[in-house]
Amino acid sequence: MSTCLKHLGMAILTVASVMLTAPTVSAESTLDKIVSAKKIRIAIDVANPPFGILDKSGQPDGSDVAVARQLAKDLGAEVEFVQVPSTGRIPALLAGRADVTIASISVTTDRAKAVMYCNPNGALSIIIFAPQSVKIKTPADLVGKRVGITRATLEEATVPKMAPEGTKIVWFDDLASNVQALLSGQVDAAAMTAFAEKTVADANPGKHLENKLLVTTAFYGPIVRHDDFELRQWINTWIFINTNNGTLAAIYKKYTGIDLPPLPTF
Amino acid sequence: MHYAYHFNVVWDHWRDLAEGAWLTIQLSALAMTIGLAVATVCAYAKAAGPGPLRRAVATYVEVIRNTPFLVQIFIIYFSLPTLGISVGANEAALAAMVVNFGAYGTEILRAGIESIGQGQIDAAKALGLSRLQTFRYVVLFPALKTVFPALASQFILLMLASSVVSAISAVELTALTNSLVSTTFRPFEFYFVATGLYLVMALGFRAVLGGVYWMVFMRRQRI
Repeated sequence: MSTCLKHLGMAILTVASVMLTAPTVSAESTLDKIVSAKKIRIAIDVANPPFGILDKSGQPDGSDVAVARQLAKDLGAEVEFVQVPSTGRIPALLAGRADVTIASISVTTDRAKAVMYCNPNGALSIIIFAPQSVKIKTPADLVGKRVGITRATLEEATVPKMAPEGTKIVWFDDLASNVQALLSGQVDAAAMTAFAEKTVADANPGKHLENKLLVTTAFYGPIVRHDDFELRQWINTWIFINTNNGTLAAIYKKYTGIDLPPLPTF
Repeated sequence: MHYAYHFNVVWDHWRDLAEGAWLTIQLSALAMTIGLAVATVCAYAKAAGPGPLRRAVATYVEVIRNTPFLVQIFIIYFSLPTLGISVGANEAALAAMVVNFGAYGTEILRAGIESIGQGQIDAAKALGLSRLQTFRYVVLFPALKTVFPALASQFILLMLASSVVSAISAVELTALTNSLVSTTFRPFEFYFVATGLYLVMALGFRAVLGGVYWMVFMRRQRI
């Protein structure tokens, strides 16, 4: 009986040690795997116009999706989209469900602790907007007002810092709920990208929504896991080439309607 | 690919997690209490009320039991302000949970009420008990005892389903966990701990409800 248990114990230990060490022993990088399998898994957020949306036939579309498709094509790999909510963009990558996330993730030092950024491929602004009747001229006017923000976004990282004490910040899990809360009057104002704001304002002319405050302007780029240097370098090379040949600028202009600002590198 | 676990991050935020768990407990306990009252009234109406009232209760139960909880929450939270009723996220969440538990509770109580034999009710009438007295002592009390385990299970399901109220910005355990994940980027640590907390709360509530059952039904029977 005891030898039986001992054998079982050894077996469990062996399996456990193999499971623990296997990923580090493997010499094949994520880039090698993508190239040999001719398949890349890209996490996208299709609830964030104009970067990621679903078109009329339910297919992913938007500037991030166009960038992802072009990148996969140039890599010679078939793209498999992993659709995630804004809160899932980093966890999907960390859990190994995707090889790279291309979902307009603004570069912040906090996020860089968890994942590795490639060079930026676009820029966005975060603004606070509200119906005409709501008086917001300076950040001080936010006191006592309910301001809706979406979790795991740049607005979550910036609005609580700029809003004075007394601002009632209301957190939503996705952009759609935040927009719905603004339209139904559950919040007085909402923070989101200027592009999303334009989509919402255009779709609801009766609400007389207007820009109130500019919170921040930031660059965003693809992210990979911390140890995927080869993949990051390949993506940076791709961004370099497609910045110079105008592909990135054309995609950005097509979906946002404005010119792509000069992209910095790091 | 490897992931280094840092559970000390969770410890740094234990106050936030405790706050979230406390709101989950408050919402669940309040929703159960009010929901049980709603269910009792509805079950009585369904068993002894006039025709139109019976049909109204049946419609309520069927509509709630055959639509998703998340949709019910959205309707309450987003549509009430357009009717001029101002509700916060926590109140809207509580209202949705009461409405939901009320419907399931009505069905569960109905099953218990139907298990009471007609002979018992006739005996109560023969003893001169009023209709309300009969319902309270002869029908409801034994019925509650019969279906108590089913009610307890439904309550645990309600507590676990409360995790979706984070969608309307109620800051309960799941909402706080999502916020902490999105600011610390430690998804596995926080989701593991949140799972553990839900498990502890479910087992805790089960123990409390077991105690209530003993106090209300068993102790009295021994006398």
